[in-house]
Amino acid sequence: MIEYIPILVLLCFAILIAVLIVGASHLLGHRISRKAKLSTYECGMQTIGPTRMKMNIRYYIIAMLFLIFDIEIMFLYPWALVTGGLKMFGFVEMLIFVAVLFVGYLYVWKKGALEWE
Amino acid sequence: MDALGFKFILFMITALVVIVSSILMATRKNPIHSALWMIVTFFAMAVIYLLLNAQFIAVAQVMVYAGAIMMLILFVIMMVNMDKGDEKDTTKAPWSFGKKMAAALLMVILLVELLFGALFYRMTARVGDYPADAVAAAGNAKTVGALLYGQYLFPFEVASILLLIGIVGAVVIAKRNK
Amino acid sequence: MFQEIPSGLCLVLSGIIFSIGAIGAITRRNVIVIFMCIELMLNAVNLAFIASGNAFSSMDGAVFVFFIMTVAAVEAAVGLAIFVMVFRLQGTVNADEVNLLKG
Repeated sequence: MIEYIPILVLLCFAILIAVLIVGASHLLGHRISRKAKLSTYECGMQTIGPTRMKMNIRYYIIAMLFLIFDIEIMFLYPWALVTGGLKMFGFVEMLIFVAVLFVGYLYVWKKGALEWE
Repeated sequence: MDALGFKFILFMITALVVIVSSILMATRKNPIHSALWMIVTFFAMAVIYLLLNAQFIAVAQVMVYAGAIMMLILFVIMMVNMDKGDEKDTTKAPWSFGKKMAAALLMVILLVELLFGALFYRMTARVGDYPADAVAAAGNAKTVGALLYGQYLFPFEVASILLLIGIVGAVVIAKRNK
Repeated sequence: MFQEIPSGLCLVLSGIIFSIGAIGAITRRNVIVIFMCIELMLNAVNLAFIASGNAFSSMDGAVFVFFIMTVAAVEAAVGLAIFVMVFRLQGTVNADEVNLLKG
């Protein structure tokens, strides 16, 4: 546990500095609230309609692929640590795992989900 | 260190953070706020895993849950929620207060049962072969790897099939076919 | 120097988080928030696994949690794809509105 103390100290400092900066500007700075000051910045336009844009579904497919291959990387970490002791057996079992996921990757590729159009 | 112990105090603080942020997650009206509180919950859970000597799982929690799954959920919220009000944009009447209270009461009964079980039922099990200091000496991720690629080899290979099904299923559902 | 945390406390915390997730899953109407509450319940179960594994000095709990994470990730990928398509077909993700199995 003792080796995590620096992380705790870092966390405390990060919170302290964030609170300090925001709090100091809130307390010390003086605020002018005129109509011109609060209006949309210079070249900006008054927005019309809802400002939340609907995101494209292509982003979803990319994010989903990231999630699945992130899990694959998490499986690779412990394997990399023990593969020296497992010898050829460990190599072959990971080869099967990666090959099965490669089939999925090929499927996505052939289906054209990676293309942006 | 004092009588209570540094670990115990840290656990109590983190447990409080987990409970408060998960309550906020379940009650915020705006789903984006819910998702952000969920990330706080996941980080605090990772700290608790560290306190319970599960370093590898703590890292996996941050990488998989707080990193990847929450990113996907935020993307989908941005994709489907054009306006903030999710509970009120329905033609059907919202749940009445009594109905919500009845549901909550049911869950409070569940909670009491769980607490009763956790506090008064003495768990018995054979003590395993991996005491905390021995695992720490060998390396936490290494011990997980030795189990995962030895005893749990078959589930590991099945997990690859599961991931394959996940890829294919998500692409089949979400891909726009021309 | 650092005394261990009693495992009963971790199980109590796990029970509390599970109940919060269950209450949220029952009372909320937005399917994405319901999904997040279910993820929270999965996390509570993970915590119980880790706490018991730590109490009985066994590593099997950690391996189980790892597999649960894999299942949760696949579930997120497929489930959220379903939500996106439901929104496209029905124009809402409110659980009261989405009550037809046909598209």
